[in-house]
Amino acid sequence: MIDIALLASDLAWPLTILIAWLAGELAHQTWKIPRISIYALVGFVFGPAQLAVLPHSQSASMLLLANIAFGLILFECGYRINLRWLLANPWIGATSLAEALLTFLAVYFLASCFELPASTALLLAALSMATSPATIVRVVNEQRSSGQVTERVLHLSALNCVLAVLVFKIIVGLVVFETSGSLWEASYNSLIVLSVSVIIGASAGFAVPALLRFTHRTNQDSTLAFTISIICLVALAHSLKLSPVLAALTFGLSARHRRIVFNSSQRGFGTLGDLLSVLLFVFIAATLEWRQVVAGIGLGLAIIAVRQLAKIIGIGIFARISGISLRKGLLVGMASTPISAFVILVLEQTRYLGINLVEELAPLAAAALILEVLGPIFIQRALIWAHEVPDAEEPARAP
Amino acid sequence: MPLEKFRTSQALTLGVELELQLVSLSDLDLAAASPDMLELLRRKSFPGSVTPEVTESMIEVATDIHERYPELLAQLLTMRDTLIGAGDRLNIGICGGGTHPFQLWSERRIFRKPRFREVSMLYGYLSKQFTIFGQHVHVGCVSGDEALFLLHALNRYVPHFIALSASSPFVQGHDTLFNSARLNSVFAFPLSGRAPFVLRWDDFAEQYFAKMEHTGVVKSMKDFYWDIRPKPEYGTIELRVCDTPLSVERAAALACYLQALCSYLLERNEAEPAEDDYLVYNYNRFQACRFGLDGSIVHPKTYEQISLREDILTTIRRIQSRADALGCSPALEDIYRITHAGSDASYLRREYAERGSVEGMVDSALLVFRGDASSQESFSSGV
Repeated sequence: MIDIALLASDLAWPLTILIAWLAGELAHQTWKIPRISIYALVGFVFGPAQLAVLPHSQSASMLLLANIAFGLILFECGYRINLRWLLANPWIGATSLAEALLTFLAVYFLASCFELPASTALLLAALSMATSPATIVRVVNEQRSSGQVTERVLHLSALNCVLAVLVFKIIVGLVVFETSGSLWEASYNSLIVLSVSVIIGASAGFAVPALLRFTHRTNQDSTLAFTISIICLVALAHSLKLSPVLAALTFGLSARHRRIVFNSSQRGFGTLGDLLSVLLFVFIAATLEWRQVVAGIGLGLAIIAVRQLAKIIGIGIFARISGISLRKGLLVGMASTPISAFVILVLEQTRYLGINLVEELAPLAAAALILEVLGPIFIQRALIWAHEVPDAEEPARAP
Repeated sequence: MPLEKFRTSQALTLGVELELQLVSLSDLDLAAASPDMLELLRRKSFPGSVTPEVTESMIEVATDIHERYPELLAQLLTMRDTLIGAGDRLNIGICGGGTHPFQLWSERRIFRKPRFREVSMLYGYLSKQFTIFGQHVHVGCVSGDEALFLLHALNRYVPHFIALSASSPFVQGHDTLFNSARLNSVFAFPLSGRAPFVLRWDDFAEQYFAKMEHTGVVKSMKDFYWDIRPKPEYGTIELRVCDTPLSVERAAALACYLQALCSYLLERNEAEPAEDDYLVYNYNRFQACRFGLDGSIVHPKTYEQISLREDILTTIRRIQSRADALGCSPALEDIYRITHAGSDASYLRREYAERGSVEGMVDSALLVFRGDASSQESFSSGV
């Protein structure tokens, strides 16, 4: 006798992934929409709070898988960041600070106008600073883009994520300190988690290239070696309740800057990266609830608009002096739209702190969902308008 | 449109063009970065000229006209520093080398300019395969007749320039066993190879070029991809067989080796060039591409087999006095060093063996171009 209920719950995830993939391919072929927009849409619609195709309580293994997917993308992001560039061209750092600060102030001011409590407004402002590197990396890989908009939006997103995490943790620390009065609890969450995550990420960045050199595997494709290392690292961070995302980012960053050997590896971790990104973007959008989105839609939309404007201005004013045209500067600002994935995971992590940020920050959930779908399209448009994407007509046909 | 008149130039003046690689510092693959580079470089006056090339991962620079080696070298160094400064601001690596060792031609993007689009439509994948990097040297000539004489008198020396400049041992990720694999990509074009054996400019313009134009195959001299071609609007001949060397110092040395050699040939020290010289031309060219300085060539007059390295050393001795007169003896010393220490192609192969990967090769090419090769500090060369 087949247990229909069991079968349905066992198949929920595989079928959702199949449908998301299929819808993504169709939409990409027909309207050239970035695939991850569609994955998010499917995830949201199938989510437990909506059609409830996906189970309500996320199993630990799904969370781990999502973290691995996230880890792979953030490793790649870290690997593409060139810290020496920030020394060679200090205006990149100035741009980053300007756009982050401007975004923070604009969103804080806006939230205050909506009469949110100061602590919520501050947290909202801090999280709004971050641009999702995951979304950017996926769209950049899908579009095979390269050029200054691509390069800068990647660097700026990594920088403003770090800024957002720092500011967010400081504010959370202050909030926890205010409510519990325990400095230990406040500082443990802010500091230890971050620094231990960074340390294990950096150690992996030393160890893996050394291992590759030791085994003389330097001229072979190292995709598999790095993939397995990331899986181990994420599992370790996950199990120690550290930040897998930060560990993977640091791993990528230190592997790039400490490499004594050079390895070729497939961009975006090839097919495995594609598969896991379907899962990741479905997973993230599935955590959102319709109720929340509706509740926060007004302020959510206002945040999107204000944030977009702040980023475009913040990046635009430094465009020329940092070596690109104003037009490209504005396009970098436009491509810095998505918040999404990153923010939601941070929110999830703060649940156990006792303050229910998820409820309080409903506008952010609304903004996240909208940007989860629209963000990739903004990036794609910005890259196309910047002429950093290969032309569709280019494969030469005889005249 | 008939071929324009050959403009008179001062004899033995030099101009150098270099096609350079634009490299991503993340994965060391070629990067489509020329539009951003050009946008930045346009802001200040460039010491020379800088132009786009057919695919967006290439950039071409050209010097002004120079009479002497020190000025030529000085301008090349200033140009290099300007380029590196711009690259640093945009996170783009710049290097020489005739080929990028592991780029995939299918990933290249054609620069947005009507002529390049047309070329791409006509030649299909060949135009993307043409993401190869050469050094072109112009030598000023007083008349069209002198230009054609020099062009043909140089035929037996073409292998010298191939072997001395060779810096393209790897293509699409693999060792080709060639020292200059780049030229194989040039040979694929229908109008490549040698110029027709005509020694009078009027015959060249009125008979050869007019006929070719009448066939509809060509519209201008630009449509010929010859190893050496006359350039009437500049009043020069243009030697096009050199790979872009890894350093601008070597580019200057090659140009001045050509200058001294032309000075020697113009004194009519050798037997007149003849159509039959070209019987061995393709064979000799192949030897130089494949084996570099270790190749052996056949002398077009005596049919004697000679080692390419020996022939270069003999030539250095013969033209030494002209080099002294022209003030380019340091250039000749540099050429002499190449014959002993090996070409850029052998340097790149050594780096490959040492560092263990094609990415490592590109990294060392980046360092050499910066004049920073001695520094063992690896990767992306930063600031």
